[in-house]
Amino acid sequence: MSRVLLLGLGVLMGVYGAWLLLSRQDTDGNLAAGLWLASGVVLHDLLLVPVVLLVMGVGSRVLPTAWRAPVAIGVVVLGSVTLLAVPVLGRFGARDDNATLLDRSYGTGWMVLAALVAVLVVVASLVRSRRGAPVGGRDVSSDVGSGVGGRDGDAEGA
Amino acid sequence: MTTGLKAPTPASFTSRLHSPAVAARVGVWLGVCFAVAFLTGLISHYAQNVSQPIPFPTSPSWGYRVTQGLHVISGTAAIPLLLVKLWTVYPRFYARPERDLRRLAVEVLERLSIGLLVAASVFLLVTGTLNAAQWYPWDFSYRRTHYAVAWVAIGALIVHIAVKLPVIRDALRGGVDETEHDHLAATRESGLSRRGLLNTTWVAGGLAVLTTAGSTVPALRDLSIFGVRSGDGPGGIPINKSASAADVTASATSPSYSLAVVFGETTLTLTREDLLAMTQRTETLPIACVEGWSASGDWTGVRLRDLLDLVGAPRDRDVAIGSLQQKGAFRDSLLQGNFADDDRTLLALQLNGEPLAIDHGYPCRLIAPNRPGVLQTKWVSTIEVST
Repeated sequence: MSRVLLLGLGVLMGVYGAWLLLSRQDTDGNLAAGLWLASGVVLHDLLLVPVVLLVMGVGSRVLPTAWRAPVAIGVVVLGSVTLLAVPVLGRFGARDDNATLLDRSYGTGWMVLAALVAVLVVVASLVRSRRGAPVGGRDVSSDVGSGVGGRDGDAEGA
Repeated sequence: MTTGLKAPTPASFTSRLHSPAVAARVGVWLGVCFAVAFLTGLISHYAQNVSQPIPFPTSPSWGYRVTQGLHVISGTAAIPLLLVKLWTVYPRFYARPERDLRRLAVEVLERLSIGLLVAASVFLLVTGTLNAAQWYPWDFSYRRTHYAVAWVAIGALIVHIAVKLPVIRDALRGGVDETEHDHLAATRESGLSRRGLLNTTWVAGGLAVLTTAGSTVPALRDLSIFGVRSGDGPGGIPINKSASAADVTASATSPSYSLAVVFGETTLTLTREDLLAMTQRTETLPIACVEGWSASGDWTGVRLRDLLDLVGAPRDRDVAIGSLQQKGAFRDSLLQGNFADDDRTLLALQLNGEPLAIDHGYPCRLIAPNRPGVLQTKWVSTIEVST
């Protein structure tokens, strides 16, 4: 019962949002919004995730076992934070008449962060390889081969 | 790679990290982020409404600073969470359609709601992040579209929770390594454990906040390498719209500048010197921008109520604040009666002991407690009390 109520509430809110979306601006605005809505899914599902899978697949083939988890952690952390920093790293919104906007050395900041993550990954990996191979560390979260190349099953994982 | 172009199926994804046990745990916190962002977003839009059936409160003065800061912080934290969440459920994207027609209909509806949820979520996080950095590479109204899509996202999220509730319950009751609802193929051990992936996600979300939130949390200023503002600016406060962007440099510095205070037939004309000759008050109030940055300052100037008394305006009247700015969406603002009457609402002439910089609104600007920054009108030229 509570699920039906939730479902109803969700549908109502979504329909209200769609009505707001369509009724508050002209057709050109709606088309632009629609294009951005669709592009987000397409770029995420058909570009970003396959690239991530590819990177992880390559990592699982090239990296020694002890390095896989630390590198995967480093990639997830640095990758996601880098993605959300793209607008400031590119300073696309910067304006000549406003020195208080986007007024940090974002590139330097990114390099310091990247160096810090890299050092932590290397240290963790070295510690792990000294202790011997970790439990269950055969293959870093990689679906590649399968995800992108389209192989059924997953040969290198087995 | 001999079968190169064959489309993957859910069975192609063999890592055991692709599990509802992981997705549900990330989903809970993602849901919390979205709920906080939605509620604080509603507050922000209501605060900017001209018509407010329930008056927006003037206290605490830092209220809007906190809610809008939370809005951007929760949205930023949601970015790594959403990426991980979508990655864990990504194999389902390749699920083959049902053969049975009725099941197919249900599946189409569910997929539609998921598609809307993903589209709306990505849209909100991307446009919000770009807006904070004042980058607008699109042809739609940001404010209206972000608001409308937020309703779509929350609606689709509630539908998604309703559909998945039994799986979510099981996943959260069982341990993180439970395999009950996993795809049969998702059994391969990874270098990273499920717990490890979750901890990585929390670290990424935390780092996203630490590296950006300094624009609104002064204690994090030095850590926030990706903050949209360092916090520096004239008088120690950043600016959003400059005098030259508003095209008011000439009129704001003109010797013929004067302020008109109007109530019905009564019009009072004051120069900046006249304002300086009145009783000066100092209030510590934040400027809190809708884009999420904020800063507190000591503003000195004339209490707005003192000016309204000079033209005999009764209490609890809306007041229209007009600017020298000729064009632009926020060149004027409406000050509701409770804000106009609040003792802390000033027509500021100084900021942190310095004469107001032209980019902060010289000759004088409005500063009121608990009010969105876009409504703290700068370069004020008219104050008109509604009759």
